[in-house]
Amino acid sequence: MRDFARRYARNKGAVVGLLILLLVLAMALGAPLIFPDSPWDMVAAPFMPPGEMDMLLGSDSLGRDVAAGIAHGARISLMVGAVSTVVALAVGVSLGAVAGYLGGLADDLVMRFTEFFQTIPSFVLAILLVAIFTPTIGSVVFAIAVVSWPPVARVVRAEFLSLRSREFVQAAEVLGKSRISIVLGDILPNALSPIIVLSSLMVANAILLESALSFLGLGDPNLMTWGFLIGSGRSVIRLAWWMSVFPGVAIFLTVLALNLVGEGLSDAMNPRLARKRGAAA
Amino acid sequence: MSMTRRGLMAATAAAPVLMCVADARAQGIAPRRGGTLTTILQPEPPVLQIGVNNQGPTLIAAGKIFQGLIKFSPKLEPMPELAESWSLSDDKLTYTFKLRQNVKFHDGRPMTAEDVIFSVTKFHPEVAPRARAIFSRIDKAEAPDAHTVALTLKAPFEPFLLMFDVTACAIVPKHLFDGQDFRTAPAVQRPIGTGPFKFAEWQRGNFIRLERFEDYWKPGQPYLDAIIYRIVPDSQSRRLALETGQVMMTAAGDIEPFDVPAMRARPNLEVWTDGWEYFSPLSWIETNHRVPALADVRVRQAISRAINRDFIAQRLWFGVGKPATNPIASTTRFHDANVKLPGFDPRAAAQLLDAAGLRANAQGVRTTIKHLVLPYGEIWTRLSEYLRQSLRQVGINLELESTDAGSWARRIGAWEYETSINFVYQFGDPTLGVERTYVSSNIQKVTFTNTGGYSNPRVDALFATAREAQTAEERRAAFSEVQKILVEEVPQIWLMEMAFPTIHDKKVQNPVQLGTGVHASYDDVFLTA
Amino acid sequence: MDPSLLPGFLLRRVAKAAIVVLAIVVCNFFLIHAAPGDPASVIAGQSGAADERFIAQLREQFGLDRPLLVQLWIYVKGVLTLDLGFSHRQQVGVATLILERLPATLLLTGAAFLFAVGLGVTLGALAAGRVGRWADSLITVLALTFYATPIFWVGLMLVLVFSVWLEWLPSFGMMTVGADITGLARVPDVAKHLLLPALTLGLFYMAVYARLTRATMLEVADQDFVKTARAKGVPEGQVVRKHVLRNALLPVITFAGIQAGQLIGGSILVETVFAWPGIGRLAFEALLARDYPVLMGVFFVTSVMVVVFNLVTDLLYAVIDPRVEVSG
Repeated sequence: MRDFARRYARNKGAVVGLLILLLVLAMALGAPLIFPDSPWDMVAAPFMPPGEMDMLLGSDSLGRDVAAGIAHGARISLMVGAVSTVVALAVGVSLGAVAGYLGGLADDLVMRFTEFFQTIPSFVLAILLVAIFTPTIGSVVFAIAVVSWPPVARVVRAEFLSLRSREFVQAAEVLGKSRISIVLGDILPNALSPIIVLSSLMVANAILLESALSFLGLGDPNLMTWGFLIGSGRSVIRLAWWMSVFPGVAIFLTVLALNLVGEGLSDAMNPRLARKRGAAA
Repeated sequence: MSMTRRGLMAATAAAPVLMCVADARAQGIAPRRGGTLTTILQPEPPVLQIGVNNQGPTLIAAGKIFQGLIKFSPKLEPMPELAESWSLSDDKLTYTFKLRQNVKFHDGRPMTAEDVIFSVTKFHPEVAPRARAIFSRIDKAEAPDAHTVALTLKAPFEPFLLMFDVTACAIVPKHLFDGQDFRTAPAVQRPIGTGPFKFAEWQRGNFIRLERFEDYWKPGQPYLDAIIYRIVPDSQSRRLALETGQVMMTAAGDIEPFDVPAMRARPNLEVWTDGWEYFSPLSWIETNHRVPALADVRVRQAISRAINRDFIAQRLWFGVGKPATNPIASTTRFHDANVKLPGFDPRAAAQLLDAAGLRANAQGVRTTIKHLVLPYGEIWTRLSEYLRQSLRQVGINLELESTDAGSWARRIGAWEYETSINFVYQFGDPTLGVERTYVSSNIQKVTFTNTGGYSNPRVDALFATAREAQTAEERRAAFSEVQKILVEEVPQIWLMEMAFPTIHDKKVQNPVQLGTGVHASYDDVFLTA
Repeated sequence: MDPSLLPGFLLRRVAKAAIVVLAIVVCNFFLIHAAPGDPASVIAGQSGAADERFIAQLREQFGLDRPLLVQLWIYVKGVLTLDLGFSHRQQVGVATLILERLPATLLLTGAAFLFAVGLGVTLGALAAGRVGRWADSLITVLALTFYATPIFWVGLMLVLVFSVWLEWLPSFGMMTVGADITGLARVPDVAKHLLLPALTLGLFYMAVYARLTRATMLEVADQDFVKTARAKGVPEGQVVRKHVLRNALLPVITFAGIQAGQLIGGSILVETVFAWPGIGRLAFEALLARDYPVLMGVFFVTSVMVVVFNLVTDLLYAVIDPRVEVSG
């Protein structure tokens, strides 16, 4: 474990990413302390630019504090991003692994099932699902997860398909290792880096998808999220740039941090690569 | 005609040479023939056949292709269109319209009394429920000659003429519809009317092009060669299109209220907010009286008093439209200016809620009411968020639910809501556009009926009196009485008399002349060089 | 793969694909009908005034009064004869509506896709070659910026710069309307309109390809067969091109296949911001209006295209990576 941490810490970017991520988490948890009032309260004149009337990041179209919105929104947005990504990863990785490793009928069935979800334009499917289950935070997360897992399954399947015929897998099979331990111990670690790249992008995608849904009036209207802030800032962008820029920066920093962390993890888990990187740096 | 002069005055101060556009003709700007008017239509209409579809955008574009017998001034006085003149018999039962002689449809066939009778008694009653309700009052429809139509009613009906605007009863060609399914007839795809512009091209999702009809009955008109309606779904793109001159005009909900101040400030643009008198849309908090708390008149009164309508009009709609004072919009006939909702007073609201027995719990919440957000654009979401914060001040927890357009229509129609937002056209007369929301005979599982389920025999009786009375005076008395009762009982909690900005390049002359504004035929619109 | 196996393989796959598409059609049918509301209630809501008789009339005319399974049977029968039905709302055949809109979408997403793959793979390969150095970090940050920035923001900024300030490009639409531009003169006109939306959409996807290419190239570069090639003294440039890039393209192709559905389906956001008359908005508006036949038609067309794309990507795998057997 210590070895792992040491390898992780060797990547400077990954350390910076971890710090940013911790800051964002601290903001999410500390929001009720920093901004004790509801982020929905109309506390200033509408469309106040940053800095005026005690609004650090300006006020929105109803005179609500954008800074309070970002702090309070962090919790729900991170939750939406994390939960939907975890669900999508769980479904996508297991189905992709089964399909790629077993091949044959299992592969066929899984791929046809995946195709069903891929054939419907994802945004329309998300709206349809949210409309069917009425918009609440649960149905939004569910809809996002449903439209996000197929790419994971396909990428994992492709990796497995290619890895299972490699020498080290064949060697493991000859040695009589169980299928599960081959999949988890030998193939999966080697397929991790595209999965990690994908998943950090998926978190961003989830937050943006939530914003598109809430812009269409299909978010959970009782919860403050970054997506809501960006969505509501969209049409007034010429009037109040701060309403979409600051939440946008928050999303960007979070995604950047996740990506850096993901890369650090991938390096730490894949020492061969990390050595190469170390040599290059 | 009242007009919005703020933007204009700013411009004239800067450049005294510029003339007031509305006075252009009076001051001798000769209409110039030629040019194409580019404008925007949003959302895209499904079809352009009035009757088969009566959504706002359909009426705006198809109002150039079709015409009614008469049209209406901003004060809602009838003016001749396809009918040169009309008269009402002494028993107030028979309306006789004298039609113009030289009117042709776009396919070259002459328009005659046959087409009018077909439109009034067959076409519109079949496809449009509103026309069916009114035109079923017709006992006899006769054509003494090819250019005279006599409609005899079963009983006098004072607002009858209001139903002959193009938006309510466009005259359609009998020979293209008779004997067919009106909704699926080929003419629905290539609409043929008598208007100054004929349908030329429609690339869905892209644009609709109308062309000058050379055989139009007004000699020398229309002035424009063509009108192009671009389909631009995003509000910021629409604003940009106007700013960059890619379109010359926007109307209805094209430009968001919060963008209107910036448009007013541009010297080359002019902003009007009139031209909606015939429709006079009124917005309100739709309340379902089947919810116990909302059945209590004190709770509805409290909600009404907890809302600052001036804030809504100024801060959310940026002064486009004004606070509602009673159930009949001030631009509609029979609005009684003396009957007014009590003003914003959260303390009075709290007292009313106390009186209704709704006490605050430990969190300060007296009751929780669900609220279905109107999915017709972001501004309605903002409105609902404002209402939630306002009602929270008096201890009502408004729990917002969001939905998409398809689900909204279904849930309102099925009475599956507690509160929502709605806005409804008044069609110039309370019998046509107001009565339907309050009379108990119209409690139906359909949107825009009395979905709230309000029922008061006295109100029913007064609306009936106003509907059947022969003179405007009798009707006025009944409507004043009903306004007093409704303002007392607030069956729906009225918010705003809505208006929509028409914004256009100053080159465009006469875009807003009538009480139907941009729905007019545009045979008199021209572009200065 | 042995070329002589190809026809049999194709035949089996096509037969299977047809069954898959049919299953998808049935699933879509139920999914769409599960959403609350129907076309009649939407039309009634938009007609300003309606009564129960009017709604009943519409339902009967649209065939919505029949049992759901009967409606399904009628629809499936139609699809089998390639009849996608009729939009009662717009009074037009569904196939006509879709064919009208499909070219615009294919043009936009195709251009964006080529741009995204071209630039993405190049940047990814560059970054992988300079791993850990400033160029790598710069490319990473750049790619992430475009990915994490809301698409409407990028779109609007591009419009402000190129349409409003520089006045080089039109801000919306697919062609100049009104001016008589016909024949070949259309090409530069459409290209001018295409540039901003394709760039907006392409920048978003570019990030994915750049990240994927970089990640897999680093992985492949470390594998035994590459080491062997190096040990054999194959020049570095050739190693990268022939061995590393070629293998690293696998996930990229996978992802491109995945995006096929989205490419056909169009991007609602970009089509909205740029008023691009594509199929994404058609589907979106059909969904809001509960125009069932149109929505099902769009879903049908996209599913057919995706199944075809998947077939092609599977073949591509076999060509690029000879060790992958074509599974039948």
